[in-house]
Amino acid sequence: MRALVILAHPDADSFCSAAAQRAISALEAAGHEVDVVDLYAIGYQPAMTEAERRGYEGLTPVVDPVVASHVELVKRSEIIVFVYPTWWSGLPAILKGWMDRTLVPGVAFILDPATNRVRPGLTQVRHLVGISTYGSPWAYVRIVNDNGRRTIARTLRLATRFRARITWLPHYSTDTSSATERAAFLDRITTTLGALR
Amino acid sequence: MKVLVVASHPVPDSYGASLRATVVDTLRASGHEVLVRDLDAQDFDPVMSLDERRAHLGPAADKVQLLEYAQELADCDVLVLVYPTWWGGQPARLKGWIDRVWINEIAWALPEGSNRLVGRLRRIRRIIVVTTHGSPKWINMIQGEPGKRVITRSLRLMCSPWTRVTWLAAYGLDRADENARRRFSARVENRMRGLRSLRRS
Repeated sequence: MRALVILAHPDADSFCSAAAQRAISALEAAGHEVDVVDLYAIGYQPAMTEAERRGYEGLTPVVDPVVASHVELVKRSEIIVFVYPTWWSGLPAILKGWMDRTLVPGVAFILDPATNRVRPGLTQVRHLVGISTYGSPWAYVRIVNDNGRRTIARTLRLATRFRARITWLPHYSTDTSSATERAAFLDRITTTLGALR
Repeated sequence: MKVLVVASHPVPDSYGASLRATVVDTLRASGHEVLVRDLDAQDFDPVMSLDERRAHLGPAADKVQLLEYAQELADCDVLVLVYPTWWGGQPARLKGWIDRVWINEIAWALPEGSNRLVGRLRRIRRIIVVTTHGSPKWINMIQGEPGKRVITRSLRLMCSPWTRVTWLAAYGLDRADENARRRFSARVENRMRGLRSLRRS
């Protein structure tokens, strides 16, 4: 299958970036074709521009060539993997903005201009994978609600007509986790992503 | 009261921008001291840089570029957020304001060896959210209302235990007519006019 890995961490030496590397090698080892978008490395600008928002209303939302290239990647991917640190129980702005700008009408959903009804557009996606590092422990994440996870596992899954399977790999308590726990998490990524069918 | 209004919408003549104007004008007319951060007009950079990430647990005084933003957040009685809901949550511009401006020592503290943040924004007694949804409310319920919970839970936990959240949301705007928009604007105006001084304990 074709896979798209999206990484959203400012530090290339971080644990989160190491997790992304593991995900990429596991997918490649399993024979998938992998495209990678490292949002910080490419200096991605996540705020939707005025021109894009005006285009959105007119159903021509893709203005920027970088966004257009990401749209092409999304359209051909059957596996989409998000690797990010959870900040304020949600997605980092750079990743939220990637969704805002890339997953627009005509890509993630089809807006019928006659009825203004929305149809799912990502029906070719078979797997949505989330790999996230959380500073907080599991219990705290439960209390505040894992909003980044809900954005991907529910909000985005709607755009696949609920056909995509969700694989969620959370690493809690990153603020205090030990080297052994981290190594075990990386191994879990290798096993889980290697087994995607 | 001191009110901080943080708003995001990329289009200056949009309905979302008009909601911000309604909020600000009504609050000012009632005599509140209102400070406005129009993130898009000011071209606020939502991306937390590598340097900021590395200084995440460091002192607030080192984050010179964010101090003014953080201080005005700590100094308000009421925080008002005005934005369109996209993909269930805040637009990147506003999420970036949260990621970057809610900094150590001013918004929260992380005690040595702990992984639980302790809130520091004791002055904020009310958070008011004015947001617009293209889709109907039931879709947002299926999605698990992620944007709402970032505010009512994660952010509110950094404020006082007495901090209340007032949620004003317009749903289904993709298929709504002018009347629905006018009604929502009137509702927002009404609620802003009804904002009374909160007694400080």
